[in-house]
Amino acid sequence: MAGKIEKWYPGEGKLTTGKAVLYILLVLGLIAACARMFLGLGATTNLNDAYPWGLWISFDVLSGVALAAGGFTMTAAIYIFNLKKFEPLLRPAKLSAFVGYLVFVVGLFFDLGQPWRIWHPMIMWNPHSVLFEVSWCVMLYTTVLAIELFIIGLERYGQESWIKFFRQIYLFLVVAGVMLSTLHQSSLGALFLLMPQKMSDLWATQAIGPLFFASAVIGGMSVITLESLIASRVYRRPPEIGILSDLGKGLGIALLIYFAMKVTDLYARGTAVWVWDKPHFFFFVELFGTVALPALLLSFPEIRRTEKGLYWTSGLAAFGVVLNRFNVSLTGYIGYRQFGYFPSAVEIIITAALVAMAILIFDLGMRYLPIHPVGEGALGKEAGGSP
Amino acid sequence: MSKAILIDTTKCIGCRACQVACKSWNDLKGGEATFSETWSNPRFLSSNQYTRIVFREIPRSDGRLEWHFISRRCMHCLDPACVSACPVAALVKLPSGPVVYDDERCIGCRYCMMACPFQIPKFQWESAVPLVRKCTFCADRQAMGLAPACSTTCPTGTLLFGERAELLTEAHRRLGLEPKKYYPQVYGEKMAGGTSKLYLTPLSFEELGLTQVGFRTDLGDAPQGLRGREWMSKVPLVAVAVGGLAVGLYYFNQRRAAIEAEEPKED
Repeated sequence: MAGKIEKWYPGEGKLTTGKAVLYILLVLGLIAACARMFLGLGATTNLNDAYPWGLWISFDVLSGVALAAGGFTMTAAIYIFNLKKFEPLLRPAKLSAFVGYLVFVVGLFFDLGQPWRIWHPMIMWNPHSVLFEVSWCVMLYTTVLAIELFIIGLERYGQESWIKFFRQIYLFLVVAGVMLSTLHQSSLGALFLLMPQKMSDLWATQAIGPLFFASAVIGGMSVITLESLIASRVYRRPPEIGILSDLGKGLGIALLIYFAMKVTDLYARGTAVWVWDKPHFFFFVELFGTVALPALLLSFPEIRRTEKGLYWTSGLAAFGVVLNRFNVSLTGYIGYRQFGYFPSAVEIIITAALVAMAILIFDLGMRYLPIHPVGEGALGKEAGGSP
Repeated sequence: MSKAILIDTTKCIGCRACQVACKSWNDLKGGEATFSETWSNPRFLSSNQYTRIVFREIPRSDGRLEWHFISRRCMHCLDPACVSACPVAALVKLPSGPVVYDDERCIGCRYCMMACPFQIPKFQWESAVPLVRKCTFCADRQAMGLAPACSTTCPTGTLLFGERAELLTEAHRRLGLEPKKYYPQVYGEKMAGGTSKLYLTPLSFEELGLTQVGFRTDLGDAPQGLRGREWMSKVPLVAVAVGGLAVGLYYFNQRRAAIEAEEPKED
């Protein structure tokens, strides 16, 4: 029982250079985390009264959650829209989503001034606060993801009676996951509804909630594509180009819809777009380089049917989602104008260590859990798949 | 009834007694004085500095310089953005006027600092267990029936403490009495839903160069927190709609797949 699911991984039991780097990052991160906990935020970060939110919020929280949207996107596609052909992508998506939310929770833990009070929103309520809703949705959705992974774990150990129980409530888990994700992915954008004057006009919009939701779907789809391509390279499997190019088609459509939403919003608000300054530079890179360009590229079957084409397009799209979160929360933020902010070494190291942690845990999951072979969920099996 | 302070900057002589009184009452450490481009000292509000006077030298039309002293502190909005933002309700607007903060609830997320349009809540960055700090409108003194420390100390009557409605009447009386002395607005009367600090100034806030230090003039009359609350009011509806749609689509698509699977057999 204790053996691994698949025993033919390259570099099995050996410390590869890549892994060594990840472990070193993790150790550095632990040291940085100790420094942050004992010395405080002021001593270890470059955050200040003019920039209360920095790299950790922009990357670990906002980008992390958006990129982990693959879990609910795939669940919705497969169960709710019955697109069964994507099933091989479902379990890796769930695993990466869980890992993404783990990064978010740990990142947030270090960002909070009083991290040991992270549970306070559970009993101290403010139903007027968007952040209150976000914290509840994230708590519940991380629980849903943990249960999903737990079910996969049960499968590994052949606990059929338990699996039977979870199969009965599986539709509830699916619907709860999709609902909670819809709410908090858009509400993370709605956090910024309170401060339009402190943001660049390019991103300060009433429609920021739906825009965040749409770009989270893009982030999720592109990360699933990247993750599947990289996994097939690392674990020496043939890439699932057929399914991925179908997903690429969907990603292209999602990018087009998002582009149309962005343009409509800017036009409706009468924002001055054709100006050349720093926020506009980032804006042009974001809108044309990471939304329009991959959408255009994905419209060519020749591109989305090649590994290289999928790498580039989904890479651009994922980068675009991250860039958007930075633009909304950092580069487009105007506090006191005489203050600047650039993350400190501790901030950068902790963020890098979180990414390393995510990769290592993902790898652990891929090796010890039945993620890839016949990737079918509880409901899929009910519909006639092999156990 | 809601209390307020009417700050008539034409009366201020820049003695900074309010800063000292604030520090004594709230038991805040004294800071080291530093040189800066103005006479303002300290240069910024912080978790150790709830109020300060902004010094401004403005050239008059005859070429001579004129001094202006503007007291800066929490505006104690009638409908505060920070109260709407805080996920754990650590910030509360009291019916008597002050916006107060509960040390025991705060998780240190700093969303209040992001949300406040006036850049008021400050963080104890130097501490390993930091909390948010800002002017309390001397809620503790008010509970004892006393006026805030700053306005008690003020030797010129710049910081007039009283009922907000009465102070507004007084402000408009002064504007009507000496229209040449004042810029014709009461800053804080309606802006961002109204504030409990009301300002009378001889020049506009733009002319005084105050928009760069946290006094915004582009907020409009709607409270900042309103948009967040509007969003939150839609959340239950969206939750039910998305949940219902998901369940509906699931059964619809299952049924469709089942029918599609049967059809070829019938042919």
